[in-house]
Amino acid sequence: MSSTIDLHVSPLGRVEGDLDVRVTIEDGVVTDAWTQCQMFRGFETILRGKDMRAGLIMTPRICGICGGSHLYKACYALDTAFQTFVPHNATLVRNIAQAVETLQSIPRYFYAIFAIDLVNEKYKSSPLYEEAVRRFAPYVGTSYQPGVVLSQKPVEIYAIFGGQWPHSSFMVPGGIMGAPTLSDVTRSVAILKNWKDNWLEKQWLGSSVERWLENRTWEDVLAWVDENHAQRNSDCGFFIRFALDIGLDTYGQGWGNYIASGTYFDPASYDRPTIEGRNAGLIVRSGVYAGGQHFEYDQARVSEDVAHSFYRGSDNVHPFDGEQNAIDPFIGAKEDKYSFAKSPRYDVPGIGRLPLEAGPLARQIVAGKPATSDFQDYDPLFTDVLAKKGPSVLVRQLARMHEAPKYYEKVLQWLGEIDLHGSFYQTPVDPVSARGYGGTEAARGALQDWIVIEDGKIANYNVITPSAWNLGPRDKDAVVGPIEKALIGTPIHNPEDPIELGHVTRSFDACIVCTVHAYDGKTGRELSSFVINSMV
Amino acid sequence: MSFLNADEPSVVDLIVDFGLEVLWHPSLGVEAGAAAKKIFTDCVDGTRPLDIFVFEGSVIEGPDGTGRFDLFADRPMKDWVTELAAAASIVVAIGDCAAFGGLPAVAPNPSGSTGLQFHRKARGGYLGADWVSKSGLPVVNIPGCPAHPDWITQIIVALATGRAGDIALDDLGRPQTFFTQFVHNGCTRNTFFEFKQSTLAFGEGTRTGCLFYEFGCRGPMTHAPCNRILWNRQSSKTRAGMPCLGCTEPEFPHADLAPGTVFATQLIAGAIPKDLPPGEDHVTYLAMAAAARISAPKWSKEDMFVV
Repeated sequence: MSSTIDLHVSPLGRVEGDLDVRVTIEDGVVTDAWTQCQMFRGFETILRGKDMRAGLIMTPRICGICGGSHLYKACYALDTAFQTFVPHNATLVRNIAQAVETLQSIPRYFYAIFAIDLVNEKYKSSPLYEEAVRRFAPYVGTSYQPGVVLSQKPVEIYAIFGGQWPHSSFMVPGGIMGAPTLSDVTRSVAILKNWKDNWLEKQWLGSSVERWLENRTWEDVLAWVDENHAQRNSDCGFFIRFALDIGLDTYGQGWGNYIASGTYFDPASYDRPTIEGRNAGLIVRSGVYAGGQHFEYDQARVSEDVAHSFYRGSDNVHPFDGEQNAIDPFIGAKEDKYSFAKSPRYDVPGIGRLPLEAGPLARQIVAGKPATSDFQDYDPLFTDVLAKKGPSVLVRQLARMHEAPKYYEKVLQWLGEIDLHGSFYQTPVDPVSARGYGGTEAARGALQDWIVIEDGKIANYNVITPSAWNLGPRDKDAVVGPIEKALIGTPIHNPEDPIELGHVTRSFDACIVCTVHAYDGKTGRELSSFVINSMV
Repeated sequence: MSFLNADEPSVVDLIVDFGLEVLWHPSLGVEAGAAAKKIFTDCVDGTRPLDIFVFEGSVIEGPDGTGRFDLFADRPMKDWVTELAAAASIVVAIGDCAAFGGLPAVAPNPSGSTGLQFHRKARGGYLGADWVSKSGLPVVNIPGCPAHPDWITQIIVALATGRAGDIALDDLGRPQTFFTQFVHNGCTRNTFFEFKQSTLAFGEGTRTGCLFYEFGCRGPMTHAPCNRILWNRQSSKTRAGMPCLGCTEPEFPHADLAPGTVFATQLIAGAIPKDLPPGEDHVTYLAMAAAARISAPKWSKEDMFVV
């Protein structure tokens, strides 16, 4: 006899708004899912008619955890619109700022948001359970405390260059607002190394950064875990062993199609930022991976669909032409609309418009494309992992954590390349009318702005966040979004405490908080509910 | 998220050392298998005592006063706010959105956002001008975008350690201990303000000068201790060459981000700053500025924050 249960996930976050997820379960497996963003703030509407530079103030404040990423791409959108020259030092500082925000997010997310679910009673029968509780229990876990508290350190470097984190606006078209002194750079190096010594190597890896980065295949990773006591018992080694033991590598696949808008520029290759020249200047590259193939990323192929979103408008609009005609959700519900998020889609050549997953896994898959310039990040590890393991909760986590040693090395390199006596800003000429596009990779994925300037002010502004890519609802063809897809097929051990849904949703690190409600699909009785907390 | 950068006490200290019981927090909640909703309903009906209700984010009243642009645990968030605020001994608004409506409340305010007890400058907001909590206090506003984690944790520790009586509020509901002084106090560029020497460009241009004359710095008019209690233990916007945006004042963003007002000082007659430090008038200011410029020593026109 089959049993059907509906799980209702209600959002409780403040970053992008509140999220509800509803899930249907049959015979212990999720068969359908709906992600419902429940909050509308209208930032893009407010930006219309405002100062051209208003996005530098407004967009970082869209999100409490990705403010630096918002500033980075808002600034590049203006650089392309203003046709600026960006001094190479300014590009280095912007790269450093973007990267340290991501370095902050990685452990904070892992310990405060994700790993606390690993102490769930479901895993009591695992021989590693007691150790998981000892390390990861919220507040008191031996790894939780230093992991969360030390995650403050990387953004101290952000404050040194930008005055504060979060919500600085120190990147401006033509460069950055300040100019560092000698001790700004030396102190930054010291903070970074201190964080590396005390968390990244001592607690997380149990090995040197260099040793971890030698891993090129899934087998390399497994061999690394067993190489010695320190690696086996580091948080990374322990997490991999525990995750394999409890099956985090077996569900949460998603569509298997990915988008990266790329980030970090080679200073000399992108000192006159243009929309067309952007791909060639990226260090962590942009790209789309769909149907098992790599494609060049082209922002012109992005569109938004509002068929199931609480907006009036077309189901295929390029972001330059985006509108925000929000409607009362009670009215929208009658038209099968169920979310304030729009559904971003990408028109893949030869395939058509697809939902794509954004995030560290997407970046690391794109990083497996053969490189064409020395400065590009080429890294085959996750191409191999994907081929051998497929996507899963574990693989998504590993991709995120893999970026900590990678970007640590980059930040150290960029700090070393700053010419303190050089230029950090070149005053641009304000345009009367122009269009701009800027993108980056926030810790949780592709983040992009499109701006239209007319008569010296903002005529239109459109932000597409990684959470929109991942959490967006169905489109006009009823094709589900990436998190909806990843939830479908998830086995639920205990509908009274469906912790697996937490793992899957959290593996996307969406900057929204959710509550899950479980309903019996036949009787409508609520079986359980739980909160998926998030970084807000 | 700024909150997680707190130190002495860190968020972990708050909970482990100060014994603060966080009933629910969007990033720190650990409820699993039990409805967060039950925590809220238990607080509302008094089953669980709610000592401090901390609210972040604007109160969203749209569309048409329904609040349905922000549904939380199956109902408009504003309805939760009404009930939880009534149940709490003390209500604290964290950040500009909760205090004053913040950025979402900027025209055309598409979401119908307002603050708990202010709408921008006007007392009133969602709860009303005369509203007081069970303990008899109006909403305690800790503004800023973001609020500094220290402003939050120190006030919470003060409340938790019986020092509520030491928290005097100004006429905007802000704790005076943090919001009497100006951002200007302690700014490393003060000496250039004194001699009316302006920074002329961003980047290397900020190795000298004050950001008040050209770049719209609101440090002299903004009440906040950003240059006393530094950000991330390291710096402040003005120290790093960025003009203060005045984000602890209810008018933020000033001039509602109108064209020409971002990172640019608004001038009268093309020369005199329109907004002056509180209490100064334009005539006196002109005389003082002229004298200051005449007396400006050579070093005040040279780079100071050098490599």
